Amino acid sequence: MPALALDVPALDISGLTVRHGDVLAVDDLDLRIGQGETVALLGPNGAGKSSTVSAVLGLLRPSAGAVRVLGRTPSDAVRAGCVGAMLQHGGLPGEARVGEVVHLVRSSYADPWPTADLAATTGIDGLLGRPVDALSGGQRQRVLLALALAGRPPLLLLDEPTSAMDVEGRRAFWTTMRGLAARGTTVVFATHHLEEADAVADRVVVLAGGRLVADGSAAAVRSAVSGRTVRLTADRLPGDLPGVTSVTRQGATVALATGDVEATLRALLDAGVPLTDLDVRGASLEDAVLSLTTSGATR
Amino acid sequence: MSTLLAFQLRRLGRNRQFLFFTVLMPAAFSVFFTKVFAGAPGGISQEQAAATMVSMMAYGALGAALGATVRLSFDRASGWLRQLRVTPVPQTSVVAVDVAVGMLLTLPPLLVVAAVGRFVNGVRLEAGQWVGLVTVLWLASAVFVALGLLLGWALEEKAAGGAIGIVGTVLALLGGLWVPVELFPSGLRVVAHALPSYWYAEAGREAAAGSGPELLPLLVLAGFAALFAALTVVVARRRPLTAVAG
Repeated sequence: MPALALDVPALDISGLTVRHGDVLAVDDLDLRIGQGETVALLGPNGAGKSSTVSAVLGLLRPSAGAVRVLGRTPSDAVRAGCVGAMLQHGGLPGEARVGEVVHLVRSSYADPWPTADLAATTGIDGLLGRPVDALSGGQRQRVLLALALAGRPPLLLLDEPTSAMDVEGRRAFWTTMRGLAARGTTVVFATHHLEEADAVADRVVVLAGGRLVADGSAAAVRSAVSGRTVRLTADRLPGDLPGVTSVTRQGATVALATGDVEATLRALLDAGVPLTDLDVRGASLEDAVLSLTTSGATR
Repeated sequence: MSTLLAFQLRRLGRNRQFLFFTVLMPAAFSVFFTKVFAGAPGGISQEQAAATMVSMMAYGALGAALGATVRLSFDRASGWLRQLRVTPVPQTSVVAVDVAVGMLLTLPPLLVVAAVGRFVNGVRLEAGQWVGLVTVLWLASAVFVALGLLLGWALEEKAAGGAIGIVGTVLALLGGLWVPVELFPSGLRVVAHALPSYWYAEAGREAAAGSGPELLPLLVLAGFAALFAALTVVVARRRPLTAVAG
């Protein structure tokens, strides 16, 4: 891995457009990520997260636009060992042992992470002699992480990396990631878990319908959604509540997004609705993303 | 690249069933067919024993080449090929190793069946004929390596295993590897001449007869190999390794 000028962005995406047949997966996306950033890509299924990651890795040919990874084309960057990736649909070969797979991938890099240290960091030291087919979901994920880290790449791309992990595994995973980020590794990850984005990322990029709908710190994205959420347990509500922008019902619990808490509550009391289990909160990152992505999709 | 080759060979070596069906079965068939014909009135001639051996060498090599290469579809299904694409391992090495593994795997059945022919069934050839026979059948097995790679790219994991069995059987049966083409009705003989397996065995028979390599079978085989390779490239290009959703 040759030394890189610090002003070269880790990722430079301009006008990226990806089509899968008739489906427009990524729509004229511009995104620039500097070296050393930790960035979460958020968005619902079909938002274009995986397609973006695939384009950055050179796994698909974009319909339009350009992607530069540390100043190189995606395939050159991968060949040069600049990138490590955990793919959503990446896999391990059958009829092989974990240690053999790790050895194969390590030996493809010029300056690989020493096996013992790599195995300890990723928590696979007990698994090296085990057949790949005998791994649990969480263990497979850890092995895939070890493969992504095998070459000590300056850029890590993680597509839903913790989807098969339990809570403990997830916590250990993000501790590892924070350690790598602290040492200057650029970490870009796509996730559904908003608390992960909140806790780990210093920048959150929200995608919807293949377009960028928000970009900033978790706090900035959250504050993009003004208003609060009023939750209560109620069977029936009056139809026209002042201030309310959306109503979502989960069983007996109703969540009212409102721009005017006071007016909403007053109207509820006036209508004689008992305020059972009342709860008023500012928008969570989840609300923010939901609000951003639904408005983005209807654009 | 050598690391990847060793890795792939080790994986195949773990598959005892594969080794059994590709190496031992053709050898057992060779003994079986020879003994069956030997029990017929008039016994079996040197030529018949040699012809049976060549057919079984061809059958074994064909099965090994197809079986070793179609495994590509398993690696596609598991996502391993995608994973490999995001490491610095070059794509050209991955393809070259697939071809090399297919070619290497055809050698054991060729050698084992030849040894059974020589030492169990008493086939006698000149040293040069043995070398020529094994060399011709080994190099020409590239046709079936290309066909196996084509099927591995074209078929889904679940279909691939069954398809290889059927394709292998059709090629062996209609190509005259189990029953000599001379015993076919004339209609089927036309079919045989349209199959690479017939020309493959034909090239082997000519090499065993010591008549030097005849041009026609080799040209036909080269044509088939080029066709399969070209189709493989077309199919592989059309198959993205990416997920469609997300």
